[in-house]
Order: sequence, then structure tokens, then C-alpha cells
Amino acid sequence: MSEPIEEFFERLTRGGPDRLPRRADGSLRIDLTSGTTTERWFITMHGGDVSVSHRNAKADSVIRTSKDEFEGMITGRVNAMSAALRGVVSLEGDPTLLMLFQRALPGPPSTAAGQGAAATGRRT
Amino acid sequence: MSDGIVKILDGNTFVVSDPRGDIEASLTDPTGLFSFDTRFLSTWVLTVNGQRLNALSVDDLQYFEARFFLVPGTGTVYVDAKLSVIRQRAVGDGFHEELTILNHAEEPIELTVRVDTDSDFADLFEVKDALKKKGTYSTRIDKDGLHLVYERETFVRMTTIAASAPAAIDEKGLTFVVTLEPHDSWTTDLDVVTAAGAGGRFVRPKYRHGERRAQPNMGRSLESWLEEAPRLECDDDRLRATYRRSLVDLAALRFSPLIAGGRSLPAAGLPWFMTMFGRDSILTSLQSLPFTPELAATTLQALGDWQGSRVDDFRDEDPGRILHEMRYGEMTAFEERPHSPYYGCADATPLYVVLLDEYERWTGDRSLVRHREQEARAALAWIDDYADLLGDGYVWYQRRNEETGLENQCWKDSWDSISYRDGRLPGFPRATCELQGYAYDAKVRGARLARLVWNDPAYADRLEKEAADLKRRFNRDFWVAEEGYFALALDAEGHQVDALASNNGHLLWSGIVDKSKAKAVVANLLGPRLFSGWGVRTLAEGEGRYNPIGYHVGTVWPFDNSFIAWGLRRYGFKDEAAMIAEGILDAAGYFEGRLPEAFGGYERSLTKYPVQYPTACSPQAWSTGAPLLLLRTMLGLEPVGEHLVVDAALPRSIGRLELLDIPGRWGRMDAFGRGRVDVEKRRTRGRRRVTSSRQRAAADRA
Repeated sequence: MSEPIEEFFERLTRGGPDRLPRRADGSLRIDLTSGTTTERWFITMHGGDVSVSHRNAKADSVIRTSKDEFEGMITGRVNAMSAALRGVVSLEGDPTLLMLFQRALPGPPSTAAGQGAAATGRRT
Repeated sequence: MSDGIVKILDGNTFVVSDPRGDIEASLTDPTGLFSFDTRFLSTWVLTVNGQRLNALSVDDLQYFEARFFLVPGTGTVYVDAKLSVIRQRAVGDGFHEELTILNHAEEPIELTVRVDTDSDFADLFEVKDALKKKGTYSTRIDKDGLHLVYERETFVRMTTIAASAPAAIDEKGLTFVVTLEPHDSWTTDLDVVTAAGAGGRFVRPKYRHGERRAQPNMGRSLESWLEEAPRLECDDDRLRATYRRSLVDLAALRFSPLIAGGRSLPAAGLPWFMTMFGRDSILTSLQSLPFTPELAATTLQALGDWQGSRVDDFRDEDPGRILHEMRYGEMTAFEERPHSPYYGCADATPLYVVLLDEYERWTGDRSLVRHREQEARAALAWIDDYADLLGDGYVWYQRRNEETGLENQCWKDSWDSISYRDGRLPGFPRATCELQGYAYDAKVRGARLARLVWNDPAYADRLEKEAADLKRRFNRDFWVAEEGYFALALDAEGHQVDALASNNGHLLWSGIVDKSKAKAVVANLLGPRLFSGWGVRTLAEGEGRYNPIGYHVGTVWPFDNSFIAWGLRRYGFKDEAAMIAEGILDAAGYFEGRLPEAFGGYERSLTKYPVQYPTACSPQAWSTGAPLLLLRTMLGLEPVGEHLVVDAALPRSIGRLELLDIPGRWGRMDAFGRGRVDVEKRRTRGRRRVTSSRQRAAADRA
């Protein structure tokens, strides 16, 4: 099991402000393939609470992609919407849930480091 | 159609063809079958015995359906009029065409009917910019028909073509050998289906009703859409026609994003802008709120779901920012364009909060406001945390995506729209005036919602204090005292970008203008430099860059004027609002009720009719919404508490006006008005002022 993915879900369960909209309500399974193996993450969201397991069960939404691509998404190297349009990610089920889940994904590493004009212009 | 091309559409799937129904596209020619921003057919040519056909007539049955009446032969003399060909085409998930050939002769005939097909799978952006493709093409023939396939890495798009009648299929099309007895007819169904991904099975076009006859892919048919809108009764036939045209066009412009569960919001324009645009969808929702409030609800939901959540320079995305434009084509997929979605606009975010509040005031739907609290707060936070690029309390914009991002992130988004009086262009960042008005209004309305729905009076107090502070500073820093108007923008040095522009009207709408300054602003808006007789010009005559046919530097935009009229009403200038309404609605009469995006800024007395600015998209959503908002302003419709207040001020030319069954928190209510404002007299007075100012200018030159 790879570290960045573990860390991402760990952060997700801890929540914190604005990680996932409180409206997100339902279950999401993420199937990650790597060679011949499939790693499964089962996420339930309710009222701002998020729990994560490796259950292989029926979910409201399913995301299928390679482990590499997903690692790209949770580190900000890969944009989820572009990836879906390219066909490297397959999405099934409740589109709103998928939509809200992608909000938890970070931006590109270069901008996250604070080089953007917005970051410099930000009043803190 | 006047431009010789026939367009039918359903959501973001549309067909653009010539009057024969044929498609012969090149990379730069925008005809074809398009879906999700990809061209799925670039060739669709019908021949009979090797001959092209001639169009006798075209019926635009509905916005999603057309019928072509054709005969063989070319040129003006029909070679063989003993044959009729009818193509009836409807858009669904792809399109369906019923091809019928009638033999009018006394003898039997044998015909070779051929449909040539091909697809270049161009991205809409490639059609616009004539770019070359990077993937590979292939074709496949099996029992389901002819498959045209485009692949680039994992990106696969496919068009499948099938016929109900027996056909010989080759890689370039379908051939039918038809024998027709005297007065006999032959028919085949042709189905063209679009698919993303190679694994897709062939399915006939779905019209979501289970019948063979096509209906639009919308939850509600056009008939019930029209039925549920308020009814307009008036003496003025042209106004009635304009109203109906607006409702039908608004129906055609409905776009149902995947996340909206079948509900729809207004897309920006037909056919090239059939997608979600933050600014266009919000402003059109505001215009149509008293008529079709469900559009506003879907707009708030879909744009809220897509709200920015991270800093991404390529997409000009920030947390809390509302998107500018969404696209689904190949260039977006491979990040050659940033529209997945692109966030580079500075007005949609404050306007999101404005729409949320206005929606609650009309509908009383507090549950939606409660559900969107997080988004509204994030939008309000964006104003202070990300839009204030210089840390001086104003909304600024400067793109971070220097290559494919937008330079001007306000509604006047062309390169030369923001200028000083002498025509110079300011550097970046820029703080245009209307953005400050929107931010002010967002804070005031956000405060109302915080108190009323979110139960957070402390937050409301804070927002109100910030709003008051913004208003005070704005009236000091943007005010061009000697001329009596607000500067178009501030430049990065804090200097006024001092041209006189229509943006002043938006400031009235937002309520940021000090009462003491309103009269002077109104005098400028309806003065000879801005008011053409039809409406308020985008830029005033006499400014360095003024050009009566310049996109944002002199033309008159109906949408702009509808918000200006709303602003005039807000400050109590009823007659002036009626004057603008009269001018724009009169202009609509010259376009059969369908207002163009913009028309020339020429003086009304000079051209007698409005000169259309050539644009690719018609109808345009916010032009379609303009007559609706003008009706609201003329009738002075305003929700107050649980009631609808009516305070009509109509131009005399309109006579009696009744708007019946206006939906809202009151259920349904009627509004009545009778024309009393003598617009003609006021305009003549204005014209005299023009003449004298021209004489003065001439004297100055001499």
C-alpha cells in the first residue's frame, strides 16, 4: 500500500474546514489497479463525517483508475476532470457525490507552494 | 434562415448544416454534428443517382427538429422535378433522420441513393483556431453499422451510423438501391449516434420518452414550459411576439449538466456556447427569475457544486471562486485548454451570492439557501482573500494562466474594452468599477441571508460593515467629480481609468452609488454621449476608443441595458428606465423578437433601424433574457416580504400591459400597467441636446 494514498485518506477522515462539503452524503468506492491487483477504498460521507475502509461492497458511486493516476490526483499532478475526459478514470453512479469528492483533491504542487499571484496577493 | 445555415440542437448536441441538410465541413468551417464540444460528423452529403439535391424549402419545426424539402438537380432549372426528397431530422443523443423519396412520375424508376459520411472529430476550439489533430482515425463496419473512430492515447470518440433499410456500407458511407413504382415512396431511418469510449454498444438515439418521434431531452416539453410561464396580455403585438420568442429561445438554451440530475440551467449561446458559463448563466437566471425561477435554482446548484476548491494557476482557480466556462472536448482533456473548468472571471463569484439572495426573495425557497451556505460563505471569502490582489479592499483581476487564460475577466472581455479617455489601455491588475458594485451587493445580500437563514447575526454585522466601508471608499476613489460619473476602473497605481462607460448603470443596479451622486450618473447614462436612442452604448461617444461598431467600445448591448434599467428603477428613475425599455424593445421588433448580442451604437435618428453586430451565436442567453428583465422593470415588480409589489411606469407606446400568473412565494399573482411615460418627447429633447453638443464639438474643432 502506497504512502501518499494512505495519507490522503487519513487527512480526509480527519476532515477539517472545507475538505468535503457537509452536503456530501453517501458511499464511494475507489478501485485502484496496479498490474493484476486491485486495491479498494470504501468511503462513507455523512454530515461532514468521513470514514474509510477497504470493504468491497456496493457503493453509490465508483471510481476506477490505475493506482498511478490516482496518486497523481491526490498529489495535485493530475487534474481529475481532465483525466475523466481523457478516459483514464472511469466514473459510475451519483455524479454529485463524485463532484464533491473531487473538491478534496489538491491543486498542482507548483501553485500549492504559494507562487501564484493569488497567494502573494492574499491578505492574511 | 438568413445566414443560409440550419441549426438544430438539444442541450450541447447540435447539428449545423446547409439548407439542403448537407454537411461538408473543413477544419475552419463550423458545420457538422457536435456533442460535448466535439465534432462527430464533418461530412454528411446526400446524392441521388450521383447528383446533389436542391433545397425547395426548410421548415424549422422546433429548435430540435428541421425538415428539408429537396429535388434532384443543380442550378436554377430543375433537371428532374418528378422526384421529391424529404429529410426530417431531430437531435437527441446524436441525430435521427427520416429520409423519404417520392416518385411523382408515371413510370417506375431505379435510384442509387448515397449518403457520404466522415468525421474529423475536431474539438470546438480547433474549429475556432484551425488546429491540427494529434490522434489516429479508423473505421469499422459490422452488423450495427458504420463506426468512425478517433483515438488519442486513452481518449476515444466514436460515431456510429446505421440505417433501417438495407444498405451497402463501405468506409465512406451508405448506398441504397431503390426501385420505385409510379407514385410510390421509399423511406429509411438514418441514425447517427455519438459515444465517448470504444466499448460503447450501439444504441438508437434516445429521446427519453420511449417514442419514435423526437422530443427534446428535457424533463418538460416546450408546450408545458410555455404554459407554466406567466401570460402576457397587451395591445402591442410586437411586444407579445418578443415575449413568446424569448420564452421559446430560453427553452432552446436550456442545458442540463451531468451533475444537475436532469434539471437545466441557461447556457450562454446557441450553438457555440451551449455550456455552463458562470457569468452568463447567473445573469440570465436573474433576468428570468420572475418567469422561470427553476433556471436560477439549477444554476445555483451546478455552479455551487463546481465551486473552486484549490489554487491552480493553469485554470485560474482559487478556493471559493465560481467557474467561468466548462468544456468537454479533446483539448480540455489533454490540458491544451484550461476549461476543465476554467475559473478566470472576477464577477461570477459575487454575482453567485446576489443570485442566491434574489432567488430567496422571489421564491422563498430557504432550503436551497441553507444547503448552499458553505458555498455562499466561500464566495464571500474569495472577494476578500483572493480577489483583493493589491490588498486595498477592491476586487482586482489578473490572469495567472498567461498563455490560454483570459485577460479581461469582466463581462467586457475583449482586449480593448477597458481604456482611459485618451484611448490608452491600463496595465494589470485592473479593478473595473462594476466588480466593486457586485462585491458590495454580495456583502449586503449575504448579510441579509446570514440573519434570515444562517442564523449568524455577527457575520451579518461584519458583512454590512465591510459593505459600508467599500461603498464609502468607492464613492471617493472612482468618482470623476468634474464629469459626474464613475471611472471605468482603477489601474494598478490607483489612478482612475477615466473613460465614461455603460458600467455606471450596473453600479446603480448594485446600489453602491451614493444617493447624492445618482442624478449626475443618470444624466450621463441618458445623455447624448451614452444614449443612442435605442439604448446605452458600452462606451461613450467622444472617448478615444469609441467606435459605434466596436464590440465593447460603442455598441449597444440589450443585456447591459436591461440591468441598467433595473438600476435606474432602484434609484427611483422610473421614466428613464421606461425610456431604455422602450428603445430596446423597439429594437427587438426589427429582429422578429430575437435581440442580437449587440447592435451598432449609431444615433437612432441616423439609421432609423438598429444595425446588428455580426456574431456567431444566436440566440444569446442574456439577450434572450433582456426583454424579460425589461418587463420586470417597467412593471416595477419587486418582492417585498411575502408579497409582490407592482409599480408600473410604462412607455405610452406600449399601452395596456398585463402579466398574469407571476410565480413566486405568493403563489401566482397578476400585474397590470398602462403606458403613461412620454418617451418620444423625452427622446426628442435628448436629440436636441445631441445636436447642440455636436455643434459645440464642431465649433471646438474650427
